[in-house]
Amino acid sequence: MVSAKVKVANEQGLHMRPAQLFVNTMTPFKCDVTVIFGDKTINGKSIMFLMAACIKKDSEIEIQCSGEQEEEALKAAVELVESGFGE
Amino acid sequence: MRIVDLLNKEKIALNITAADKNDIIGKLVDLQSKNGILTDKKAYTEAIIAREAQGSTAIEAGIAVPHAKSGCVKAPGLAACTLKEGVDYNAMDGKPSDLFFMIAAPLDGDLHLEILSHLMVLLMNPDFVKELREAKDAEAFMKIIDRYETEKYGGEEKKEEPKTAAPEKKIRSVLAVTACPTGIAHTYMAAEALEKKGRELNINVKVETQGSGGAKNVLTKEDIENCDGIIIAADKDVDLARFGGKPVLRVPVSDGIHKPEELILKAPKAPVYHHTGETAETQISESFGRKLYKQLMNGVSHMLPFVIGGGILIAIAFLLDDASIDYSNFGTNTPVAAWFKNIGNTAFNFMLPILSGFIAMAIADRPALMVGFAGGALAVSGATFASPGGTAVPAGFLGALIAGFASGYLMLGMRKICDKLPKALEGLKPILIYPVVGLLIIGLFMCLVNPVVGAINTALYSGLEAMGESSKIVLGIVLAGMMAIDMGGPFNKAAYVFGTSTLATMAAGQGSDIMAAVMIGGMVPPIAIALATTFFKNKFTPDERKSGVVNYIMGLCFITEGAIPFAASDPLRVIPSCMIGSGVAGALSMAFRCALPAPHGGIFVFPVMTNVGGYFIALAVGSVVGMLLLGILKKKVKTEK
Repeated sequence: MVSAKVKVANEQGLHMRPAQLFVNTMTPFKCDVTVIFGDKTINGKSIMFLMAACIKKDSEIEIQCSGEQEEEALKAAVELVESGFGE
Repeated sequence: MRIVDLLNKEKIALNITAADKNDIIGKLVDLQSKNGILTDKKAYTEAIIAREAQGSTAIEAGIAVPHAKSGCVKAPGLAACTLKEGVDYNAMDGKPSDLFFMIAAPLDGDLHLEILSHLMVLLMNPDFVKELREAKDAEAFMKIIDRYETEKYGGEEKKEEPKTAAPEKKIRSVLAVTACPTGIAHTYMAAEALEKKGRELNINVKVETQGSGGAKNVLTKEDIENCDGIIIAADKDVDLARFGGKPVLRVPVSDGIHKPEELILKAPKAPVYHHTGETAETQISESFGRKLYKQLMNGVSHMLPFVIGGGILIAIAFLLDDASIDYSNFGTNTPVAAWFKNIGNTAFNFMLPILSGFIAMAIADRPALMVGFAGGALAVSGATFASPGGTAVPAGFLGALIAGFASGYLMLGMRKICDKLPKALEGLKPILIYPVVGLLIIGLFMCLVNPVVGAINTALYSGLEAMGESSKIVLGIVLAGMMAIDMGGPFNKAAYVFGTSTLATMAAGQGSDIMAAVMIGGMVPPIAIALATTFFKNKFTPDERKSGVVNYIMGLCFITEGAIPFAASDPLRVIPSCMIGSGVAGALSMAFRCALPAPHGGIFVFPVMTNVGGYFIALAVGSVVGMLLLGILKKKVKTEK
């Protein structure tokens, strides 16, 4: 398993569009993707769980990838969050 | 925040039919608008559609949550509907959608995120979704939500209550102070952006601009007491003492320009500022001088447009007229000239009443405006008890200054006294008591003061007139030098206002040599700097060299402020150089007996000057002296590459 901590950079936090983008980006990788936010552990491939977590701007989240392609998946996830989801 | 509170029965439609995506959006917007939270249905619809264009809001399993944050949403709200048969809503899983929650959120950072999150938590429960789809009517629908929400979050939320209560609390009034180091552009751009956004959001936003012309639209104690929050958008020091005990949000001035909305909404939630520093007593004595300065500047800054607009039109009149027709009527001999002269005069004649009116207003707010205006006008007419209709000896500029401050403090006192009047008379104060009593008192006061000030004025100006050659040259040096000390600050303005006040006493068509010296003092610094950037390239950074070119134009137009960035970055070398250059130019201008009938305009008013040739020489010599000093004094810039 690999993991990394990132800060949500986009102004409006992880609202629906970024959540969708995150899930769409993660789905092609075969590994499990887990997002840890505070005391919540969230399935990183579920829009509903991601949105339910209410992740706001400047929150620190930990992304864990475990399984096949875990390195690539983590890299893609971190890049996406750090880029502010293109916002 | 609770989901059920955002919904009501009227905003739910069950088992309806919809042809396609746009159809269902239209129906949902209709529901959404039912409790009046939308100010503009069309704009909201467009925002929803624009959001869908970025990616569908259909989640999965037939659920979609179209949403939009928009300025046309007054309060957060939800609308819900279920369809008999789902429509294609471009869901990721390709399934048609039949359960819709439409979210409307005002433009506030996190609110829509919280609603979404809340809703998602509930919708993750398949039982909840199933029950919603089977709900018989809107009431049942509401009850299901209420039941699951209570189960999940409890009836009354504890944790999230304070967070979400804040944005729902109506923000009534937000204050702001904007300031940038130069005080020409950014200060006012930020103020305008904030005020404009305030109007859009229906929030009363008052912005004090601390620009190069002094503080304007100053926030009063009452303003501060009654506001919900204060934004300080400034790149320089702003005195925060008066804002103690209020939420204060401090940001760079550029945020004021680019993120006005965010600032306005955030300000009331900012941490409360506690002033630590001087004791209350020193604060008062310290701020008194500052207050006087600000009040004076309030008058001056409002007066200047009248001086400049009117003055330049008058100058045009002289330019177009033919003095050989009748010298005593110079300026009005030809019809075209007369037109310019009269229009110009009309504006120009407001100069002193405006000055005194706005000084008074800065002191005691609106009730004082009328009294100050009248006082200023009385100073102009020179009314006395013997001849209340006006005399030949006006109290002029000095009289108007006295009138302004007297009116202001008079009204301040009157307001205090009137506080003791019965409440029933409250409405009578601004419409009857203040104007009538105020006018009576200021009338008496001015009739008393006018003869004295008039005499002082006459003595002063005849003194200036009679001044010998050498003392005039000294005066020229001092005034022109003052123009260069702070380039738009109090020294500069004092010299400038003095120059314009001499204009007002001149006979038609006659220029003022003092005004000429003042203008040249303001023109030299930017030109000297521009020349220096051209001839001493190695003493300036590439950026400075670029902006140096602009200074040629600034200087020729008599905009001294162009020199400020240079002066600010290296004051100990730049300011003395400019002052000496200006002083030389002022002395020469006096020596050549140059005179100027216009209060502003730089090179554009040269044609109406007396002895233009001499003025040119004075300007050139002064600028070159300034440039050479800059070249000698300034250190080489190390090229860092």
